Amino acid sequence: MQQSWNDSAPIYQQLADRLAVQLLDGAPPEGDALPSVRQLAGQYLINPLTVSRALQALVDKGLVESRRGQGMYVTAGARERLRRAERARFLEREWPTLRARLARLGIAAADLDWKEQQ
Amino acid sequence: MTNHLIEASDLTLRYGKKTALDGVSFAIPKGRVYGLLGHNGAGKTSLMRALVGLLPADGRLSVLGLDPRRQRGELLGQLCYIPDVAVLPRWARVHELITLMSGLQPRFSAERARALLKRTSVGLDDKVKNLSKGMVVQAHLALVAAIDARLMILDEPTLGLDVMSRKGFYELLIDEWCDGERTVLISTHQVEEVETLLTDVLMLDEGRLVLNISLQDMDQRFVALAHDPAQAEAVAAAHPLLRYRQQGGRGAAIFDLDSHDSPPEHVLGLGERIRPNLVDLFMALTRKPALAPSQS
Repeated sequence: MQQSWNDSAPIYQQLADRLAVQLLDGAPPEGDALPSVRQLAGQYLINPLTVSRALQALVDKGLVESRRGQGMYVTAGARERLRRAERARFLEREWPTLRARLARLGIAAADLDWKEQQ
Repeated sequence: MTNHLIEASDLTLRYGKKTALDGVSFAIPKGRVYGLLGHNGAGKTSLMRALVGLLPADGRLSVLGLDPRRQRGELLGQLCYIPDVAVLPRWARVHELITLMSGLQPRFSAERARALLKRTSVGLDDKVKNLSKGMVVQAHLALVAAIDARLMILDEPTLGLDVMSRKGFYELLIDEWCDGERTVLISTHQVEEVETLLTDVLMLDEGRLVLNISLQDMDQRFVALAHDPAQAEAVAAAHPLLRYRQQGGRGAAIFDLDSHDSPPEHVLGLGERIRPNLVDLFMALTRKPALAPSQS
């Protein structure tokens, strides 16, 4: 009945990750406000305490900032910071696995289609 | 003065020979979403009835600073309660119920009730007998949530509702009640549905409180370990609370780091730490030995 949460990480972490993916896509854009704790709680059917923890995790990463009495705002440079962190994570964690799989299948860089799909 | 909305100490309740509540103690602060989890017959309804003064339990109990047995009238005027056998009069129209509540409940706001009902598909002129079960429950929630109170007690509110009605019910509850100040205690055995809603869990098994923990602490205290088949024996030897299979069939086990036989450090290296989910923990802590010989 709800958005599916898996058992890989605590719920607040999964919500923080999900919100981060949206920030990377520019929703909401830098300088704009995030939905309120209550809006997020209602939307995801998660209690407000857990939502606050997720937002705090984004604050700790410097992606959003709290403005007194006004809620949370996306910081300037948040997307770039997020992109850098995601790049680092891909290169460190995902790439070695992917490279090993490509090697096993005998796929070289030239075999791959590098044109972006429209 | 205390910061707790509910303080229960050594609550015990017997029906003849059967023990419904067995020395239950806990305290509930403000601003929380408490889940009261237990199988059918675990004592959830007995506990809730004791909390609102409808059943006499031994032990010490304070709800909103009142003694539910001696000050039941006063207490019922200050909290929101939907019992498991909740019924709204079938002949009544919704606006008549609002009038009725205005007369009965000093803290009831008719204006707020109308605002809350706007969020549902229930109309003010609808007759209760023409509403679906899901609509009746939503109307009921809208009515009790219009009481200016700090505590709401809901006994299996979504039992028998279809999935859309349950979702609508929880949305209304989270949006309109949970403001960080008010607390709700909600009983259910549909654990998977409420897991993300809850801030805290009370788990009852055969009248005993087997777990009282915040979800935040749960992640620290209980460790779930997903492991490869090759490690199954070593994991089993370390006395996990529960062994189960993840979706996809991978073996997993839950350990209690607080227990006296918490696993040695090396065991936690046998697999990958995952989030212990409430359903698995519920199974681990309330599982009854199947077909156990009766001990009479």
